[in-house]
Amino acid sequence: MSSDRDLTRVASGVQGLDTLLRGGFFRGGLYIIEGAPGTGKTILGNQICFNQAKADNKVLYVTLIAETVGRMLLNIGQMTFFDDAAIGDSIVYISGFNALKKDGLSGLLHLLRREVTAHRAKILVVDGFASASDSAQSGEELKVFVQELQTQADAADCTVFLLTNPTEQTPSSEETMVDGIINLESCLHEARSARDLHVRKMRGTRHLEGLHSYQIDDDGITVYPRLETLIPEVSSDNGWTHKISSGNERLDQMLGGGLPTRSVTMMVGPSGTGKTTIGLQFLSNSTKDEPGLLFGFYESPERIRSKAQALCNSKAGVFESGEVEIVWMSPNDQLLDDLGDQLIAAVRRRKVKRLMIDGLGGFNKAIRSRPIERFFSALVYQLRAEGVTTVCTAEVAEIIGPTITTPLWGLSDVTDNHILLRFREVGAALHRLLSILKVRDSGFDPGLRTFSITNNGIELAESSHDAESILLNWYARERKIAIVSAGAVKTGDE
Amino acid sequence: MEQSSESRPNGKTILIVDDEFGVLEVLEFILSDLGYHVVAALNGQEALARLRDCAPDLIVLDLMMPIMDGAAVLQTMQSNGKYSKIPVILTSALREQNVKERCSGYSLFLRKPFKTDKLLESIQQLLAAAPAKSKPEQK
Repeated sequence: MSSDRDLTRVASGVQGLDTLLRGGFFRGGLYIIEGAPGTGKTILGNQICFNQAKADNKVLYVTLIAETVGRMLLNIGQMTFFDDAAIGDSIVYISGFNALKKDGLSGLLHLLRREVTAHRAKILVVDGFASASDSAQSGEELKVFVQELQTQADAADCTVFLLTNPTEQTPSSEETMVDGIINLESCLHEARSARDLHVRKMRGTRHLEGLHSYQIDDDGITVYPRLETLIPEVSSDNGWTHKISSGNERLDQMLGGGLPTRSVTMMVGPSGTGKTTIGLQFLSNSTKDEPGLLFGFYESPERIRSKAQALCNSKAGVFESGEVEIVWMSPNDQLLDDLGDQLIAAVRRRKVKRLMIDGLGGFNKAIRSRPIERFFSALVYQLRAEGVTTVCTAEVAEIIGPTITTPLWGLSDVTDNHILLRFREVGAALHRLLSILKVRDSGFDPGLRTFSITNNGIELAESSHDAESILLNWYARERKIAIVSAGAVKTGDE
Repeated sequence: MEQSSESRPNGKTILIVDDEFGVLEVLEFILSDLGYHVVAALNGQEALARLRDCAPDLIVLDLMMPIMDGAAVLQTMQSNGKYSKIPVILTSALREQNVKERCSGYSLFLRKPFKTDKLLESIQQLLAAAPAKSKPEQK
């Protein structure tokens, strides 16, 4: 038999966690939050309590831990979710240690029953449940305790959270009985801390599986669902027929009429070749109806604006007047999915249609526990679904030379258009060359072009003629060097 | 063998009421070491029972406790002339402003976690100001 409350969710109010749980926990359910010391169990437990108190639900927080309630609240009191006024009326903190010590699990159960009823609690948190597990004389006794607590929770319509340390035996007897288990894990990623949350079990809901990053700061816990688990259920493959200007007329001609809308273009080249300049030209065509966003890792908004002033001449105003937003992220100590989350949020906030990511290497430096291609693949899918046309820059190490190493392996599979920028040294002059390697579902001009950087952005040569003569000169010079080197080796051998 | 309150250096009895066993243990140790006769209770209900038996000179009372909280203990004491004059140090993790909205009848408030020096100072101050109590009735 089902009733209305069968489907009632209790939102944790913790950013990202309710997304993982598809809306929250189930009312009257019994859940384990498990993690080693320092992983944030108490913070998460309190965060849920304060969020529920805001929703006018009574909360009972029972501690079995060594830390006193006063000390715990002193620490929790530093966090933004903490509300002094909620304590006492909405949230009651009591110790269950004496009941457990004096009368064991039955004493604790008796206390929980009585206090849940007395306070009409809709949320019960038992912090330090490991003490209760340890005090059980047998696995059977613990099972009975959990079963009775579950019955009590269901009858009182009270959602119960047991905060505990990881058990040696997995799954432990209590784990097989509860409605859900959330694991909090912390480890070192190179020299940086990385935290992962894993919804290991959740009855009655199709939660987002696998590990998801989380962080603890003044706002408590924030969970960042893995971007690839959030793939929208809408097709992102349509829209190829329309093209928008790259911001450079001659480049548009080479691209076969511009960049396909919703496509992702990767511009690869060494530092200084003009990747950012081309990106700024692309953004300079932003309008109020087609807002632009620069999501960058290396240059501050001030620096980008002054660069746009110098390189986009008459169109630089869009970087000042709001048509283009500049979001600058430090590439250090960032969580990969936090970056993805912030990017998608910035896109949605202004319904961005033109996006420049400068450069992709910033994502590669973020803290992550999985191959980056999966993230990029999901990011590209999300951006397409949002109707964004994206231009990304990626730097290569080789400044001058015949070979170019793909900067981020596996990325070419998910990006639609590829533009390659190179330097070539001939005589005492350094030349810039641009070529298009791929445009999704469209013809394009594969010829090499020389270009220069001017006050109006890049100026591409009309034809491949100059590029051809530069390359011929360069190869002739390379061959001469090779012959001379071989001769020198031969002479040396003799 | 337990000493009677009169045989102790300062002969005063203090009732400590707190549901946190750790807090209770530490305070009991410190106050006993200073020569106070200490009686402990783990909740309000136990506190009222001890109150009848030990006639304390002062009570250190926690606010949030299972079974019966500190506010209910104060209310019971206020309604009973025999106990209404006993000085009470109320302790809680709440701000005093929030505590005042919930209960009255306490002499001093200490926000948890507090330093023992502060507690001792408050105890001395209240005991010095308290009128000499009549001896508990001999059974």
